[in-house]
Amino acid sequence: MISKVLVANRGEIALRIIRACRELGIRSVAVYSTADRDSLHHELADESVCIGPPPAAQSYLNVPAIISAAELTGAEAVHPGYGFLAENARFAEILERVGLKLVGPSSRVIAMMGDKAAAREAARKAGVPITPGSDGVCGSVSEVKRVGAEVGYPLVIKASAGGGGKGMRVVESEAGVENAFLSASREAGASFGDGAVYVERFLERLRHVEVQVLSDSTGTTVVFPERDCSVQRRYQKLIEESPAPDLPEGIRNGLLDAASDLVGSIGYEGAGTVEFVVHEGEFFFIEMNTRLQVEHPVTEMVSGVDLVGEQLKVASGESLDIPASSLVADGHAMEFRINAEDPRRNFLPQAGPIEFYNPPGGPGVRVDSHLYAGYRVPPNYDSLLAKLIVHARSRDAAVRRGLRALDEFAVSGPETTIPLHLAILEDEEFRRGGVTTRFLQDRELENEEGLLRLVRKEA
Amino acid sequence: MRNEKENRQDPLPLDQVERVVGLLRESGVGEIRVRRGEMEISVKAMPEALPAAPQVPVGSGTVQESAEVDPETNGLHAVRSPLVGTFYRAPAPGEGSYVEVGGTVEAGQVLCIVEAMKMMNEIVADVSGEVVEVLAENSGGVEYDQPLFRLRTDAS
Repeated sequence: MISKVLVANRGEIALRIIRACRELGIRSVAVYSTADRDSLHHELADESVCIGPPPAAQSYLNVPAIISAAELTGAEAVHPGYGFLAENARFAEILERVGLKLVGPSSRVIAMMGDKAAAREAARKAGVPITPGSDGVCGSVSEVKRVGAEVGYPLVIKASAGGGGKGMRVVESEAGVENAFLSASREAGASFGDGAVYVERFLERLRHVEVQVLSDSTGTTVVFPERDCSVQRRYQKLIEESPAPDLPEGIRNGLLDAASDLVGSIGYEGAGTVEFVVHEGEFFFIEMNTRLQVEHPVTEMVSGVDLVGEQLKVASGESLDIPASSLVADGHAMEFRINAEDPRRNFLPQAGPIEFYNPPGGPGVRVDSHLYAGYRVPPNYDSLLAKLIVHARSRDAAVRRGLRALDEFAVSGPETTIPLHLAILEDEEFRRGGVTTRFLQDRELENEEGLLRLVRKEA
Repeated sequence: MRNEKENRQDPLPLDQVERVVGLLRESGVGEIRVRRGEMEISVKAMPEALPAAPQVPVGSGTVQESAEVDPETNGLHAVRSPLVGTFYRAPAPGEGSYVEVGGTVEAGQVLCIVEAMKMMNEIVADVSGEVVEVLAENSGGVEYDQPLFRLRTDAS
């Protein structure tokens, strides 16, 4: 087993990794910026090293500082968490060169899956259905028009190096192709330093369903019960659940097999997620995330597997030993992302001191968070404060448990997304299950005596 | 506060600027930009306008904590490490240290080396003065912002 791991992240995910290390008897090294001097990951790790000033580019994205910290402390491996350097192929390559083990796949696989057009091609070769669209990158307006004539409009132009909605344009008809192509390439170039784009059929009413995979260095792969992450706001996930409610058995089996085929074909190692869209009885591959995800606890709750612990074992060269019973969902789990954003004021980001903090407890409740009373949320990083995960025998029971736990969740200081989650759980369509990614877009938030309520927009 | 406005024809919408300033204060974020049509209001907080860090007793006196005891007490000036790395007092093994306690240094003079990624980074004094204390151990690791030397400047 690896004896010491450097955790190249902050916030709740750094704590999650430090906890897994401790349970496995692995020493942990935290790195932190001067904005995070009072942070729990710095306090709870066995060792910690200050790597730079508040801006992420000079601290959590500062590759030389992180590698120096690993060398100084004698860490053998680096766990990147999610975000920051987690899907940076160049970072992975540097680690390989200096003899540090990345807890994750090889730089080659990260680079391939990070290039969305190449990932589509890999999926196609593995026999995994992809959204109808271009073969690889589209280099010109006329090429986009040719694809449009073939697969039909509306189309979506996407940045090959991208994600998160940047460098993305929806085109309703051939007349809009030229403008959309030029602005998408320009935005992709500005955001990712690579203006390459590809084109897909735009699917409007869809569900986002993804499959958690885990592979060891010998090529053994297991796939876990799927997660539904359709409740999103501006391409950012808000609620994730497993299993996906009301998903036809044929689709579920198809997704799991496709994820397994893709991962098996690319020489994967570690934890990863294969993302799909489900649209009118069909499913298509969209991308693969070559890292641990924010919503991994949902899978941990229904499978009973410690995914971070398994990542560390796989990185140590151990073979997977997951019982088949863990690959069938036990009950239902849901995760709510508690962000420092004010839903009453257009999700204005919040920062500043946490005056009071009392997370919920009781049966079937898990909270992953780096908060404590007196902690000051720095304005420099992302807005995730806590993840509340509930687990129960059925989806209905999980919804009731979620309402109860959200109601108990006391955070004062910054405004949070807790009132929004309560409103979503009260929504009839959400309760029925199987909402599309347009769920929030189709609704307005109404403030009723301090409580938020979702109201369907008039068509 | 810095207010910017692109459209020069209309009178400055002071009430709107005021509202944005209010939002900025309440939220504690560093900058807010509001765009409506051709007009954009951008408000940036001065560092002191951000909510102050609360004084919270955290931690149990780890190595880092003790290293962060303010070395500027008694008016002494601290030279801090600009990067993570290994601290060397001499240019090469077996050679004499760049500086000794009691010696005087000029601003710009090399005090030590911090090695990172096999690169030797010379750390220079940012002020002139007398070396009062060497705070890091030779060939030990140093963090970003860790105090390395205490200097008594002419002012102190």
